[in-house]
Amino acid sequence: MTVPVIQLQQVGKQYEMAGETFHALSDVSLDIHANEYVAIIGPSGSGKSTLLNILGCLDTADSGSYLLSGNAVASMAENQLATLRNQQVGFIFQSFNLLPRHSVLQNVMQPLVYRLMSAAERERRALAALQRVGLFEKKHHLPNQLSGGQRQRVAIARALVTEPAILLGDEPTGNLDSKTTADIMQLFDELHRQGHTIILVTHEQEIADHCQRVLRMVDGRLVADQRKQSHAGVLESAEQSMLQHTNNLASATRLLV
Amino acid sequence: MHFLHALIEGSRAAFLSIRAHGLRSFLTTLGIIIGVASVITVVAIMNGLSSNIRGQLDDLGSDMVTIRAYTTPDQELLGFRNKLSDSDFRLLQSKLGQVEQISRMMPAFSLGLSVSYGRSSTQTQLLGADSAYQNVVRIYPQQGRFLTAQDDLKRRRVAFIGHSLIQKLQLPANPVGHYISLSGDWFRIIGVAEKRGSLFGFDQDNYIITPFSTATAINGPDNLQVEISYRPKPGADAAQIERQVRSLLRAKAGLSASEPDHFELVSSEKTKAQFDKVLDSVTWVAAGVVGISLLVGGIGVMNIMLVSVTERTKEIGIVKALGATPQFILLQFLVEAIVLSLFGGLIGLILGYGFAALMSLLMPGMPDALVPLWAVVLAIGFTSVIGIVFGLAPAIKASRLNPIDALRFE
Repeated sequence: MTVPVIQLQQVGKQYEMAGETFHALSDVSLDIHANEYVAIIGPSGSGKSTLLNILGCLDTADSGSYLLSGNAVASMAENQLATLRNQQVGFIFQSFNLLPRHSVLQNVMQPLVYRLMSAAERERRALAALQRVGLFEKKHHLPNQLSGGQRQRVAIARALVTEPAILLGDEPTGNLDSKTTADIMQLFDELHRQGHTIILVTHEQEIADHCQRVLRMVDGRLVADQRKQSHAGVLESAEQSMLQHTNNLASATRLLV
Repeated sequence: MHFLHALIEGSRAAFLSIRAHGLRSFLTTLGIIIGVASVITVVAIMNGLSSNIRGQLDDLGSDMVTIRAYTTPDQELLGFRNKLSDSDFRLLQSKLGQVEQISRMMPAFSLGLSVSYGRSSTQTQLLGADSAYQNVVRIYPQQGRFLTAQDDLKRRRVAFIGHSLIQKLQLPANPVGHYISLSGDWFRIIGVAEKRGSLFGFDQDNYIITPFSTATAINGPDNLQVEISYRPKPGADAAQIERQVRSLLRAKAGLSASEPDHFELVSSEKTKAQFDKVLDSVTWVAAGVVGISLLVGGIGVMNIMLVSVTERTKEIGIVKALGATPQFILLQFLVEAIVLSLFGGLIGLILGYGFAALMSLLMPGMPDALVPLWAVVLAIGFTSVIGIVFGLAPAIKASRLNPIDALRFE
């Protein structure tokens, strides 16, 4: 088996609220592999967003260990965290969080500003990312000239442009109507098919239905980890056939030698 | 290499942000502009005025001493009015040794006197003086001649006029030999003085000087009021002459040791010292005005910076989520604050200089605007520090937050 992209072990997070300690996360352990399509569901206050923020290095855990692409996040300095966020993570927010006074193109180029890259190369990559989400024509618009669905596409382009190891979405369709939600989910499905690792936080079952794996959280704990049988079955048979091929290859090699 | 990249990209981001937040940038700059412009204007005007006045005092000559009657406030309350007389002058003229030139002058005894030529008339002041007056005060004729001893002796009705009367009375370009009327008496013009210009907007070339004896006759002997001016010989001991003047005049008036002088000695050195004292207090007032302008400008800058903290914190949260390092964020904000401060400072400088130049154009006698370097440094330095501190402080705070906390900042 390959090394997981995400390895969480006994991760915990507490908040002090009015003198009382509130456990946002307790003892969460979890592996996520490349090209998985994961939904984190649960009622509000269950810690699913906190978990996603920790996965995206926007927030840090109080206890436990977190390896992202083999990097121990807990022991990292602020600058290393920034580099990690820039190179490994594409984060998509419910409220888009675009820079309001920057054009669509400038918004998508923004993460590349923090890399050693020429302006021309930045623009080329940003335009390619906009092409992928179908907003090439809107590159000179300001975010407030776009619809909610279009803004979320810009945000997805901005997340994609760095070619991150993981794409994280915190209720990415929470502010969108059902038609636009369907469009955006179609885009996520497509990105998954293209090989991206996607983790979405949601409280809607329809969204979770798009994913292969559903993590359910209650009161800061991971209470269920379900893989869809069909997908899991496909994976299992793929693994078995690969094993078969490897054996065949091994015997063929022996014969040759 | 990394730093260079951050500097270039940080500056690019700063300029982008300045352009994107046009109104905020403008308002920040405005605070700085107001602060700097007012400082420059006030300082330029103050500086110009004082150098102008100093220059004019220097023109008077530093060694001329004028003796004039002085009435103490106590004496004034009792209804006394001290005077110097022609005999005081004669005494000094005969007894003072080390004096090069000595003259008497009857000060402007009828202010607002009406003078006319043809159909034009104007208000002027009339002085009486003897022939030595021109050498003591150094008023020289541009046309014609000054008064002579003969004019005084024969009590001639002649007039030596200030330069601006030519224009005011519409006199011919060379008015020597023409007659002007002073309250019904005709005076022949014998000379026109060189131009002296104006001081604080007062025309210094609007006067008529007649012979001392003529002035005495017009004024009546009872109202005789004499001012005595002298110029010590080169190398003479000015203090010793002053002591001599004092003892001569006191002895003549029969003053006891406890009584105060009934006259005062005014030299341009003393006037300068007095002027410096006045200037000092005016400078303090100006410094107060300048301080308030800077404070207002500074508070303006501060307000804009603090008002935009929420917006900027959120912006910082976004870029942190995208991978910006704290150093990059600080560099961007620093460049932004410096650019806005310098830009505002430059505009303020130009505006302030413009105001000062306009003032000196509009006010007659105001010299060209002079802006000393310290004022520029002070004004731009102060507002820049405020702009940078209040622009950077929230950025420092926000750049240290977890991205998620910065994004949630309200």
